[in-house]
Amino acid sequence: MKHIFNIAILALLAISLSFCSRDNRTRNVRYMASTDMYTPVSYETYGTNPNYTNGLDAQAPVPGTIFRGEVPYEIANTEEGYQLALKTLKSPLEVNDANLANGKAMYTIYCTSCHGDKGDGQGVLMQREKFLGIPNYKDRAITEGSIYHVIMYGRNMMGSHASQLTDKERWEIVQYVQKLRTDLLK
Amino acid sequence: MKSVKKHSLVNKIIYLSLTFLLFLNFNVSGQTGNYDKGKQLFNVNCAACHKLDKKLIGPALANITDKRSKEWLHAWIKDNNALRASGDADANALFKEYNGMPMMQYPQFTAQDIDDILAYTSGKPKEIAQNTAVAKVDPKVAEGKQLFQANCAACHKLDKKLIGPALANITDKRSKEWLHAWITDNNALRASGDADANALFKEYNGMPMMPFPQLSADDIDKILAYTSYVEVKADVTQSKDSNLAKPKASTAWMSIVLGLVLLLVIVWIFVKSNNGFLKIAATIFLLFGIAYLGFGALFQVGIDTDYQPIQPIQFSHKIHSGDNKIDCQYCHSSAKHSKTSGIPSLNVCMNCHKSISEYNGPVTSDKDKAFYDGEIQKVYDAIGWDKDNTAYKPNFEQVPVKWILVHNLADFAYFNHSQHVTVAGVTCQTCHGPVETMEEVKQFSKLTMGWCIECHKTTEVKMKGNGYYNNIHDQLSKKYGIEKVTEAQMGGQECGKCHY
Ligand code: HEC
Ligand code: HEC
Ligand code: HEC
Ligand code: HEC
Ligand code: HEC
Ligand code: HEC
Ligand code: HEC
Repeated sequence: MKHIFNIAILALLAISLSFCSRDNRTRNVRYMASTDMYTPVSYETYGTNPNYTNGLDAQAPVPGTIFRGEVPYEIANTEEGYQLALKTLKSPLEVNDANLANGKAMYTIYCTSCHGDKGDGQGVLMQREKFLGIPNYKDRAITEGSIYHVIMYGRNMMGSHASQLTDKERWEIVQYVQKLRTDLLK
Repeated sequence: MKSVKKHSLVNKIIYLSLTFLLFLNFNVSGQTGNYDKGKQLFNVNCAACHKLDKKLIGPALANITDKRSKEWLHAWIKDNNALRASGDADANALFKEYNGMPMMQYPQFTAQDIDDILAYTSGKPKEIAQNTAVAKVDPKVAEGKQLFQANCAACHKLDKKLIGPALANITDKRSKEWLHAWITDNNALRASGDADANALFKEYNGMPMMPFPQLSADDIDKILAYTSYVEVKADVTQSKDSNLAKPKASTAWMSIVLGLVLLLVIVWIFVKSNNGFLKIAATIFLLFGIAYLGFGALFQVGIDTDYQPIQPIQFSHKIHSGDNKIDCQYCHSSAKHSKTSGIPSLNVCMNCHKSISEYNGPVTSDKDKAFYDGEIQKVYDAIGWDKDNTAYKPNFEQVPVKWILVHNLADFAYFNHSQHVTVAGVTCQTCHGPVETMEEVKQFSKLTMGWCIECHKTTEVKMKGNGYYNNIHDQLSKKYGIEKVTEAQMGGQECGKCHY
């Protein structure tokens, strides 16, 4: 009888001590964590993969291929390419409310922190003087083609935003930027 | 004769007024220009390619007026193509140096605009420097600081030995006359046989300090005022931040003490007491206690609330999304279309960090500017960006940053971000907590099945404006006889939706 109680007391102590050692820099115990119910057999999005030379699962697309849903963009990332896009590239989307609404939503996520919600170059980063040199859209002679080109490749200090947006979203943003610009020019 | 005289009078007036105008004109263009307006113009038009102190796409422009004449600068900024075409040697050399990268033309600028910009590139006028740089401080100190930084800081610091000794409160150690003599010409002072001066020279292994005959007595006083001035580091933001960073005072010790006392009492009952009732009561209490704690421990298995691993780069969501209001989806851009939210690849970081190479925000006591600058440098090291030349290093093999995953569901449960973020319109914070206030991300929710189901039971499905639901909504609202449908009623607690 006494033994049982002694053991019980020890167990109680041990358990309460185990609570004290819980720190948030390491994961908690995970029962069956090593089985394939918990840890996938397949390769995970950001995991490692021994089959590739750089050991990563996330690979850039093979040159010359495009992923599903993407539209290849053939104009080169050069000054001539910019001029070509400026003059010839046209939007495949019709201007309507749905496109403009999504364009606005996407613009708000990806462009406002620099260009400001009105497109006047007064985004939060500019106002806080973290990132300078953002133009007002009305001061630039831009067309839908050149805006698309700039989203694809960036220009000078602006970086490319192609990887964050699908083709359709880019054109929707272009539509919305055009609208902002006409509003600014008024 | 008369007519000539009259003529000359008219002429005289014209000449006079002309010279007056010229004088005025000269005055206008000779004036320094408006610093603040110049700064605005510069930030909007030039800062994309130029910085004051660093090469960006174009050359650094601080004090460019020392290097080029004013006429040249006006001509260049207005229309650099024309200037080059006119055969100007400097302009063409510059163009070649920058690999034929053309700068834009600014024909719309007036001469005044350009003067304003040039005033900005020449640095802050003194009055402004005083009341912004070191606010609420003796103007002498502010000027002294400038002088110190321009002339002395290469070899001296206030608080640390650099090439020369630390200079804080040097006036306590040496007399004013001695200091003046030393700073103006320390060679002469040594030659005059001054003992202190010679001892110092020996202590620093005969490393001579430069003489500064150009500094006036007044300048030297200002510098000395600066070295005696102790900067009050109690910034408001700073003290607030360090408060936040401190862990909350723990009350855990109280329960530990209480537990130990109880334990001792129980042990005493079993060992010493002969009272049967007490023994039974203690036994029951002990069993319940063990059961309670035991189950508590078991329920912790696999639950990682507050898990906060040490990341390879201390990326602060507070600075990015809190202070600078960058949208979550700017970086986690796949949340809107796919199962995973994704961790941004480094090219996304570089959209901003090509330009932002150092941290100038508020700091806390344990994380100073050097710490944050070092963290930004890690991004550069990984992607191979040379911040001094502002270009990617050629043939650099990028090293991926090995972020440590915080949120991780077991493989048998399926969770999709786009279903919740895009379709349901749930904000990130509902599940991930106030990420924009976290220096380091931690897991906010429990991520248990109960947590998922609880929300599905209480959250209404947004059916309006979603064509997919047009039919389903009618059917479901008929079936349940209600207008609003929760996710659970739509099947959000069927096992197969999450386990398959
Ligand atoms: C990190 C800050 C930043 C973000 C984010 C940003 N831009 Fe820019 N943008 C700039 C800068 C800087 C320039 C000026 C580039 C130059 O000197 O030509 C610029 C210029 C432009 C121009 C004018 C280029 C030209 O042809 O003269 C357009 C159009 C533009 N941005 C569109 C966008 C759109 C659309 C987005 C959102 C997808 C966006 N920007 C996001 C910084 C940014
Ligand atoms: C599109 C990028 C760009 C913008 C915007 C820009 N510059 Fe430049 N700037 C350059 C480049 C590149 C050079 C180097 C010469 C060359 O390649 O043509 C240069 C050279 C200069 C020079 C000569 C520097 C020297 O060392 O002699 C001055 C002065 C200058 N810029 C002033 C300005 C001013 C003022 C503005 C704003 C009104 C401005 N720049 C806007 C790219 C730019
Ligand atoms: C400037 C880019 C950027 C922005 C903006 C950003 N994040 Fe992150 N986020 C990251 C990076 C990089 C990581 C990985 C490093 C880490 O975990 O600290 C991350 C990690 C996370 C994680 C943990 C992922 C895991 O490992 O489980 C969550 C959750 C998260 N972010 C949510 C948010 C939310 C919510 C917002 C908006 C308030 C946001 N992020 C804004 C870049 C960003
Ligand atoms: C309905 C709750 C919920 C919402 C809303 C939500 N998340 Fe998550 N998030 C999760 C869960 C659950 C996981 C773990 C997923 C897994 O391991 O499969 C997760 C994982 C993540 C991760 C780690 C990488 C990954 O994708 O597995 C990031 C980053 C992240 N979320 C960011 C965000 C951002 C940014 C938003 C807002 C746009 C957001 N989350 C909205 C529940 C949510
Ligand atoms: C939209 C612009 C933007 C993007 C994108 C961005 N940053 Fe930043 N970053 C900033 C700003 C602004 C600061 C603060 C600078 C200051 O206050 O002076 C900063 C500061 C930092 C710092 C120092 C402070 C800290 O958080 O420890 C690090 C490190 C950093 N960024 C890493 C990253 C990484 C990694 C990424 C990519 C996942 C990234 N940044 C993407 C704008 C950005
Ligand atoms: C903040 C509330 C919330 C939380 C937490 C939440 N969900 Fe949901 N979930 C929703 C809503 C709202 C919908 C309905 C979206 C729609 O309109 O289709 C939904 C839909 C789903 C669906 C699609 C169901 C269907 O009918 O097709 C799945 C699967 C799902 N959630 C899984 C999960 C899992 C797994 C978790 C926990 C890791 C989770 N959810 C946590 C709110 C939540
Ligand atoms: C809304 C999504 C969702 C639905 C619906 C759901 N589950 Fe789960 N379930 C989860 C998540 C997420 C976990 C993982 C919890 C964790 O890791 O702690 C889980 C864990 C479990 C586990 C525990 C496995 C283990 O070893 O830890 C069992 C058993 C389980 N679910 C059974 C069911 C059954 C039976 C149903 C139908 C009545 C069901 N689930 C419906 C999301 C769901």
